Amino acid sequence: MSALAARRIAIIQGEHAVVREPDAIISTLLGSCIAVCLHDAEARIGGMNHFLLGEPQADQQLRDVDLQRYGVHAMELLINAMMKAGAERSRLRANLYGGANIIAGLGGIGSANAAFAKRFLTTEGITVGQSDTGGTLARKVEFRPYDGKVRCKTVADRPLPPPITPRIPAGCGEIELF
Amino acid sequence: MPAASAIKVMVVDDQASMRAMIRRALQDFGFKDIRDKGSASEAFAAIRTDRVHLVISDYNMPDMDGIDLLRAIRTDEVLAKTVFIMLTGSSDREIVQKAAALGVNNYLVKPFAPAALKEKIERVFGALT
Repeated sequence: MSALAARRIAIIQGEHAVVREPDAIISTLLGSCIAVCLHDAEARIGGMNHFLLGEPQADQQLRDVDLQRYGVHAMELLINAMMKAGAERSRLRANLYGGANIIAGLGGIGSANAAFAKRFLTTEGITVGQSDTGGTLARKVEFRPYDGKVRCKTVADRPLPPPITPRIPAGCGEIELF
Repeated sequence: MPAASAIKVMVVDDQASMRAMIRRALQDFGFKDIRDKGSASEAFAAIRTDRVHLVISDYNMPDMDGIDLLRAIRTDEVLAKTVFIMLTGSSDREIVQKAAALGVNNYLVKPFAPAALKEKIERVFGALT
């Protein structure tokens, strides 16, 4: 990965980035969260998201702000952004990172996140290439969207940012038409 | 009060995971006759041969989007009165205005709680049993 990268884009929980610049790098720091890197090799477009938890159950009464954390929507935002940038859905390939079970006693939330992401990609027919999930250590992921190369390394000594309230679209969940 | 089980629904979204999530929520509300399609053109063809009472459609889809589907339904002699609820990842004013002008029955911005979807359906059909 080039040390002379023109632009570094760091994303945090609840965010995604899609780029097609040759030297740009998207990076993130993951604990139990998941980052999915999508790449269209032909269009040379790549994108990465960073999300927490899986899909909500139908009987859950959740605030809309909570739902933003969920993968279904996070993945839809990333896929739509890729397609808007010119990627073809049928050409998308995915790499998957994170899902560590860092804090004992949380019921394997990291594993649940990873399982969700794998199930989502299978359901959507998106091939998963590299996958580095599980374990008990945080990961730093650097993704070069132009050629799809990813560097993922575990980081035992880096403090993870605390979970944050994700940003949600204005008017999320509600528009009063009538 | 309409029985949810008597309402035929078509769910349209290019993401299978989203369709599955909406289907599960609808089943939880008591809906029994739920069909789904991954594209607006397929959905339109399907409801022309077998009509439904309610279409729940994503806006952002490749080729034919949710607005195109709404327009096609509203200009179709047979389907024109089908209830249409639009789902979108954006509360973009222009899309909302366009949908309203075309006669959308309600509009929901993702991500939404299942209860919000039920509320939107009930605002059109009345309280579901």
